[in-house]
Amino acid sequence: MALFPGCLVLQRMPQYEKAGKRVLRELDISVASIAYAACCGAPLESFTDKWLYLAAYNLSLAERMGFPVLTLCGNCTSSLLRADVALRDPSLRLLVNDKLDQIGLHFQGGTRVTHLVQVLSEQLEGLRDKVKAELSLKVALTHPCQAFRPHEVLGFDDPLQPQAMRSIVELTGAEVVPYDAEYDCCGSTLYLVDEQLGLEAGQRKLSSATGADVLVDACGNCQLLLERFQGLMNEGRAESRMPVLTLPQLLGLAMGIDPAELGVGPVMAGKLLGSSP
Amino acid sequence: MTVGGLDSLLEDCTKCGLCREVCIVERLGAHSITSFLLGEDNYSSWLCSSCWRCQEVCPQGVDIHAIMMEKRRGEEPPAGHRTNSARVLQSGYALTIGEEINEMRRHHDLEAVEFVPAEWIKALLRGQEEQEKGA
Repeated sequence: MALFPGCLVLQRMPQYEKAGKRVLRELDISVASIAYAACCGAPLESFTDKWLYLAAYNLSLAERMGFPVLTLCGNCTSSLLRADVALRDPSLRLLVNDKLDQIGLHFQGGTRVTHLVQVLSEQLEGLRDKVKAELSLKVALTHPCQAFRPHEVLGFDDPLQPQAMRSIVELTGAEVVPYDAEYDCCGSTLYLVDEQLGLEAGQRKLSSATGADVLVDACGNCQLLLERFQGLMNEGRAESRMPVLTLPQLLGLAMGIDPAELGVGPVMAGKLLGSSP
Repeated sequence: MTVGGLDSLLEDCTKCGLCREVCIVERLGAHSITSFLLGEDNYSSWLCSSCWRCQEVCPQGVDIHAIMMEKRRGEEPPAGHRTNSARVLQSGYALTIGEEINEMRRHHDLEAVEFVPAEWIKALLRGQEEQEKGA
């Protein structure tokens, strides 16, 4: 598959990218990075229709490789797919290809774009065979909104109460604990407009999930707010800190992969696996 | 992009309010595009977490996202959005990027990023304006 990590994961979350690749390798799914990939286009959409040029540019690079696209963030997934739908319009496609021609590329359209959650949910049998250590953990899930919505475009799982992550995590032996804010958005994008409101959204989520040992996400935006910015919530109280992992990190631990190869620190790994590092 | 503009996008809205019920921004006490749909003035089209729940629950299939994009293009953007979009137009990336990220990636055994050539981004995103300016 052609990996499109998106700006956030590419530049700030090597642990997520690394764990994703490592877990897919265990499933014999080969992943190649898209050379020269740029932003998916989403940040431009509120300003200009040129966001379509950027989305088409990235898709045309994947087309040239001849592989379906693998995404790690909800936002990129939906942007690339929504652009693909918009570009079914022949006049728009012409406009875009006029631009791409200048740099020797061409957009055909119709490339499959799937988020990691979807890819893994299509591999449940293979995953079951690879799980080596049953995790005795209570796991709360947070689902990447735009890997499921708009359903009209994504066409995957229940768009309001997606179950794919649950089926994957249950294979690890961990208990998936439901909580009130499970299907709410983390609020990460809101942070860009109003920091306080974004943090409040994240805090609502985290305080609703206190029955869990670890919160598991599958999106750079969720990871940014819930993990990296968690210290800005709760007045920074360290004792109430909720461990947050990305889905492939948790899966990788259950597969018996060395935590270092998953970007999971020894202290966190010891805590989650119930043994000393 | 939208044919017929805001009026036609709003045509099927019955103001049932389901969109506002599921909106995380509204639950936090602030007002999003869903308040605009219900005829209120006190809202910001930028206050959105991009969760798409409003559109998913709309029984009328109203393209709330498209409405929000239309409104945004006519409203002052918050600094964060303005910075991100300027960065994308300039460099092709939403975050500041440089060789140092490859050092970080090497540390994690990830291959180096092959950056999008600056002239490609110029051709894709800035070509037209600069040609027009020159004309």
